Amino acid sequence: MSDCEVTDLSLPRRKRDALLAHRGFWIALLLVGALAAGASCVDSYLAYVATSWVIFGLLGLSLDLIWGRAGVLSLGQTAFFGIGGYLGSVAAINLAPLTGNTLICSGPVGSLAGACIAGLVGWLIFFGRMGALQATILTYTVTLIIWTSAVSFHATVGAAVIGGDNGLADIPPYVVEFGNMATPLGPNGMLACTILIAGGAYLLSASLMRSPFGLLVDCVRLNAEKTELLGYDTRKIQFLLFVLAGSIAGLAGALFGHWANYLTPSVFSVQEGLLVPIYVLVGGRGTLAGPFVGALLVGGLSFWLGGGVIGGQTTLVMGLGLMLLVLFVEGGVIGAVTSLFAKGNRLRALGTETEGEHRHPSLAALKHIARQDSDGSLEARAIVRRFGGITPVNGVSLTFQRGRVYCLIGPNGAGKSTFLRCCMGSHTLSEGEIMLAGKRATTWRTFERARAGLGVKMQTPQIFDELSVAQNLWVAAYQVERDRRAADRKVAAILSTIGLVARAQFRAGELSHGQQQWLDIGMVLCMSPAVIMLDEPAAGMTAVERAVLASMIRELATSAAVIVVEHDMDFVRSLEAETIVLHQGELFARGSIEELRRNEAVLDIYLGRRRHVRTT
Amino acid sequence: MEVDLVAITLISAVASAAVLLIATLGLAVVFGLMGVINLAHGEFIMLGAYAALLSTRAGLPFWAAIIVAVVLAAAFGAMVELLLIRRLYSRILDTMLATWGLSLVLYQAAVVVFGAVTPGLGFSFSSVNIGAYGISAYLLVLIAVAALLTAALYLLLTRTSYGVLARAAVQDPQMSAAIGIDAARINTATFALGSGLAGFAGAVLLPIVPATPGMGFAFVVKAFLGVVIAGPLALSGTVMAIGVLGALSNITASVWSAVFGDLLFFGATIALLRVFPQGISQSWRMKL
Repeated sequence: MSDCEVTDLSLPRRKRDALLAHRGFWIALLLVGALAAGASCVDSYLAYVATSWVIFGLLGLSLDLIWGRAGVLSLGQTAFFGIGGYLGSVAAINLAPLTGNTLICSGPVGSLAGACIAGLVGWLIFFGRMGALQATILTYTVTLIIWTSAVSFHATVGAAVIGGDNGLADIPPYVVEFGNMATPLGPNGMLACTILIAGGAYLLSASLMRSPFGLLVDCVRLNAEKTELLGYDTRKIQFLLFVLAGSIAGLAGALFGHWANYLTPSVFSVQEGLLVPIYVLVGGRGTLAGPFVGALLVGGLSFWLGGGVIGGQTTLVMGLGLMLLVLFVEGGVIGAVTSLFAKGNRLRALGTETEGEHRHPSLAALKHIARQDSDGSLEARAIVRRFGGITPVNGVSLTFQRGRVYCLIGPNGAGKSTFLRCCMGSHTLSEGEIMLAGKRATTWRTFERARAGLGVKMQTPQIFDELSVAQNLWVAAYQVERDRRAADRKVAAILSTIGLVARAQFRAGELSHGQQQWLDIGMVLCMSPAVIMLDEPAAGMTAVERAVLASMIRELATSAAVIVVEHDMDFVRSLEAETIVLHQGELFARGSIEELRRNEAVLDIYLGRRRHVRTT
Repeated sequence: MEVDLVAITLISAVASAAVLLIATLGLAVVFGLMGVINLAHGEFIMLGAYAALLSTRAGLPFWAAIIVAVVLAAAFGAMVELLLIRRLYSRILDTMLATWGLSLVLYQAAVVVFGAVTPGLGFSFSSVNIGAYGISAYLLVLIAVAALLTAALYLLLTRTSYGVLARAAVQDPQMSAAIGIDAARINTATFALGSGLAGFAGAVLLPIVPATPGMGFAFVVKAFLGVVIAGPLALSGTVMAIGVLGALSNITASVWSAVFGDLLFFGATIALLRVFPQGISQSWRMKL
């Protein structure tokens, strides 16, 4: 790879990536077209059955989006599928006499219905900040409740009669012509039409996942806390994806109604629902195309071995299959195929250390890094944080201003990290106020504080392991810039500042600990923060790197307030900072490091000597 | 409204909460002490019910049938832990998927072996009269069983070395490994305990809930939600959540329909999780 020059680094590569990505898009588009054209050549009974495989593949796609990409296992996709099917079919039954075309009635209604139900469930899950486990349980119980209530649900909507256990009959078939002379599609036409619709949904999802939104979805899965620290509302990202997945499931349900011509509550059953993760796992989780491959394989297998996909002993086989898949299969069919071909394309493996990169760091980019819409001040007013009987932060009042470096020191358990967490919003305050740039930020969420200019590096480096170094930085820059090109430029500048130019395309998880520290610091710099908090930034760095970091922090302080938590007193001294000593959750002393070194009381608490050590 | 109607409604609400608690405790123990949700819990109950049913048919007295059910379910649970759960530690979503597959396998196997419907046992229990209304004496027995079971579990988990080690292993896996606790063996025991409790539930509820392949589904919605509401304190949280919501949803169900009872439970779960994201017991200062 020759793209080591700073300014040329990301743009040509991005162009090539974009071309590659577009090549993938065109190939997929051609494939969808070819499959749709090929649908006319197959035996008509096979075409009829294969239509259902494509529909189930579409249902699988909806799960793959939310589980494979967002990391939320939903066992409720069949509920969205069934609701979309029922409501879409009701619309088709009533409106088809007017329009002729049945899909134009059921498709939008079905996907809207799926989106609405998913929106309701997703709102409860994501805005309620539920854990992954709670989310899965919730989607599962939603499915069970809808299943049991559908059995006894009776309603008549216009010409459509929903008859509880008997379900909904007389759903019109696939009709794509308009007017009252319109004739239904034959099996081959039906298959072609389904392939086109499902292919469209796939291409749409795949493009979306390649956009910045898709990158953010990956970020939330990899490290939700860091994504929020960068200023993104993670709840909204996951919620939107969940709604999209619900609408795709609803669309699949509407198609299924036309295919089967009747729907019963069994579409909600767990036996049916079990198949969805199987499709995803067989084809390859997170690949988006995988569920189609999986549905084709599972459907084809049971077709040629005899017996339908649903009912009979297949439940037994599928249940066993799911267990075996979870235990032994990783990556599925698509994963296996791509790992055969894509070896050359993988991100570079880690080479030898190149220590020299930090000898001539370019600090020019740091000169005016801080945003100008904030006055760069952070104020804690008598903040208290209690956990049960412990009070790690007990009435601390501190003001930080632009143009200075502040060092927060204190023995272990002094409350330094808790203080940081209170400032960044991951702990709510028991008492007191936080003011950010003169505004009351006490009740702001973490991402709102980040957007107001608070950049935080936590004690352990928080990075997105599976993304490249450049992508990590890009995500941080994009939140501020909201423009791809501008974010690219910023990434190029920051890469040279943190000395990771040669590693830009490495997987971030493969970096050494010290390099991960630099990357995390780089991400904070990409945010153009006005207030910067660094928790033990020098840990794991070499002596040369520490010196670079110290001069960098001093440079940053010309335009921002910088707060550093450190244990290394030599490093603290090199920062020439105002030093604040915390002890047992309270402000203990402050001044220059030289003054504190002469302060007997400070030495007492560090050495655990009697006089100033209270026993709590 | 007459006093006897109120009394009978309250007593049957408490009884229904007790039934639900008996069916949930196994799930709660496994979740609380292993952090694992067993989606096949309902089918473990079903296994216990069939084991008890077949044992009584073979001529065993009912108390012996219950023991057979507990032992069989516990042994089966230990096997599942060794073959399935153990391989998926720290992959909680995969654990749920795998146990979901297991649940369907067990369900379908029961359909194949026993058929979809099984004749009941024909237990006859005397009924207790309260005013103009009667209630089965067995329901009153079940209230006592639920209380005794909870107490026994509390003692097992606080007073025995197994209980202390198990709670240590879930609270701080690294530290407990460092001081030499064999977490894998503890987990096998815990999962067997949870399964045994499920088997006990199936057996002891047999007189009022006939054994069918799908009987587990009747319990699992409320059981899963109850455990999620309960939060970190497996025992006290579950007793509180199931006790209150189980009784309330029984009253709702008897006034409207069973679906409304489920919906009430569901709605309450949502509301409670909004206030206590980690479950109601997140800030209780108790052992269990």
